[in-house]
Amino acid sequence: MTVDIAWHNIYYLASVVLFCIGLYVIIAKDNLIKKFLGLNIMHTSVFMFIIALSAVDEGHAPIMVEGAVAPFANPLPQALVLTGIVVAVSTTALALSLIIRIYRHCDTIEANELRELE
Amino acid sequence: MENWPHWLVLVVMAPLVGAAVVPALSLRNRALAPWIALAVMSVTSLAALMLLVRVAREGLFSYVPGGWEVPYGIELRFDEFSAVIGIICLIGWLAVLFSVRYVEHMPNVVPDRIPYYYALLLLNMGGMIGFSVTGDLFNFFIFLEILSLSGYALVAISGERIAEMAAFKYLLMGAISSLSVLFAVGFIYGMTGTLNMADAASRLAGLDGSPAAPAVALGLMTVGFMVKAAIFPLHVWLPDAHAIAPSPVSAVLSGLVVKVGIIGVIRVQQIYQDSGVVDLAILNQLFVWLGAISIVVGAFFAIFQEDIKLMLAYSTISNIGYIVMGLGLASTYGVIGGSVHVFNHALIKAALFFAAGALIYRTGYRTLTDLRGVGKSMPLTCAALSIGAISIVGIPPTAGFLCKWYIALGAFEADQPFFGFALIFGALFIFIYYIRMVNAFYFLPPVRSEVVDAKEAPLSMLIPTLSLAALCLIMGLAGRIPLSFIEPAVMRLLNGAGG
Repeated sequence: MTVDIAWHNIYYLASVVLFCIGLYVIIAKDNLIKKFLGLNIMHTSVFMFIIALSAVDEGHAPIMVEGAVAPFANPLPQALVLTGIVVAVSTTALALSLIIRIYRHCDTIEANELRELE
Repeated sequence: MENWPHWLVLVVMAPLVGAAVVPALSLRNRALAPWIALAVMSVTSLAALMLLVRVAREGLFSYVPGGWEVPYGIELRFDEFSAVIGIICLIGWLAVLFSVRYVEHMPNVVPDRIPYYYALLLLNMGGMIGFSVTGDLFNFFIFLEILSLSGYALVAISGERIAEMAAFKYLLMGAISSLSVLFAVGFIYGMTGTLNMADAASRLAGLDGSPAAPAVALGLMTVGFMVKAAIFPLHVWLPDAHAIAPSPVSAVLSGLVVKVGIIGVIRVQQIYQDSGVVDLAILNQLFVWLGAISIVVGAFFAIFQEDIKLMLAYSTISNIGYIVMGLGLASTYGVIGGSVHVFNHALIKAALFFAAGALIYRTGYRTLTDLRGVGKSMPLTCAALSIGAISIVGIPPTAGFLCKWYIALGAFEADQPFFGFALIFGALFIFIYYIRMVNAFYFLPPVRSEVVDAKEAPLSMLIPTLSLAALCLIMGLAGRIPLSFIEPAVMRLLNGAGG
């Protein structure tokens, strides 16, 4: 019974686990690139959570052509995640450009060494 | 004229479109950039003024872009709390004016890229305005990201030595908080199947089953907005970011962007208060405690700062503590005081940062020791700084006094007099460090010749500084107006009657 419920909600569980992994990476790692990769893992986990909300048993892609058969997967979360991905890409671009500039200024991207430079 | 329905969409779109247009139009002649940005902000301010008149006349109203009906379309709602866009437009306009001279003299500035600075500033404004007027949860997140991303870039732009590091730290914490908000939006959508805030509130009320899932969503949202509002212990990103950003940007970040977190907290409370699915009393008690700790911690660290902007940044933490404490008290006076302090603190802190920016611009120094004796060479700027300082301590008859008085009354009304004392204790701390500043500027012998020879700030800096300082005094005397304006909204928030 418990296993069944867990299996049914595997996407939700996985996204929570991924969220925590990402948070751990951000807190525990010193390298700035790794820190922001942790951020990307967190982004992905949230996107997966929202996409999993749209799943319908036996659902088809919600494309309204002739001969389309119900039930359809919910298209709204997919649209949300597309927008969310755009946000994630801009965050990534900004973070990478900041890291490049930090490296040019300080010759290092390790948080512990940067702290000494301050 | 104020009944033209499209003002509400214009006030959001004007700065966002303007942000794209400014760099394009100033490609040939970059000296045009600030004036185009100023024109864009003027249009936005006009729209905001019309909206304010309308909300004062008829209360809450909404707009559905594209004619997609609620709850399917994205709804823009304007209520009394959205009136914060008035102060956003005012300070945004003045910040653009202040930047005209300031940005050209920033260290390591690339002249060709100055138009992009104005584009970022306008994006930031558009994000904040959109955030305050949207009635849709996902739209809420998008505007939050627009204003946050432009905020990170604006911190990094200053060219100071550790600017990028401060911006990166801000980015990491900010992105985590945005993600937790998005996670909560997903939660609410999963539970209710709607993204419209009012609709979600009514559907949450009809939800049966355990309140665990709504409570998790509430927790995630609250933590997310607490990071944005820099409430202790989630404030660590604030001092560096706000102190290192260019001064007009510091005024915007400290005066407005942290308030976005507060607006977020209010919106979430509206949703949950209306639905009544989770008891908010525990959360409110947490807010009161964290607010009290923020007041004392922020003020305490501010005392030891030599750098004038770092001191102002810590003082922001302490003032956000006042606002959160007022909201958490959940008594009429407390919430009114807290919400009005959102307006008044924005005025005061922007005035202080503008004045500090003018000092740094003219003298090139930013620590209290170096700036000794500046009161004689730059009398008007220092007068504005002193008015701001008196105001933020809360000495009558200034803008700061009124809110703190109301929050203290709220503490007694909520039968928690201890927090009233915490508030007064915090005000004493704040008094100590502002007195240090005033003492250094007026009464201690100067140590730097540049400070003695400094000229008064140029007009484009004096106008923003002095007009905000004057408003600090006016709002102290005409304080009834915002208080009575916000009262119906606070009553609705506290009684949970249709947010």
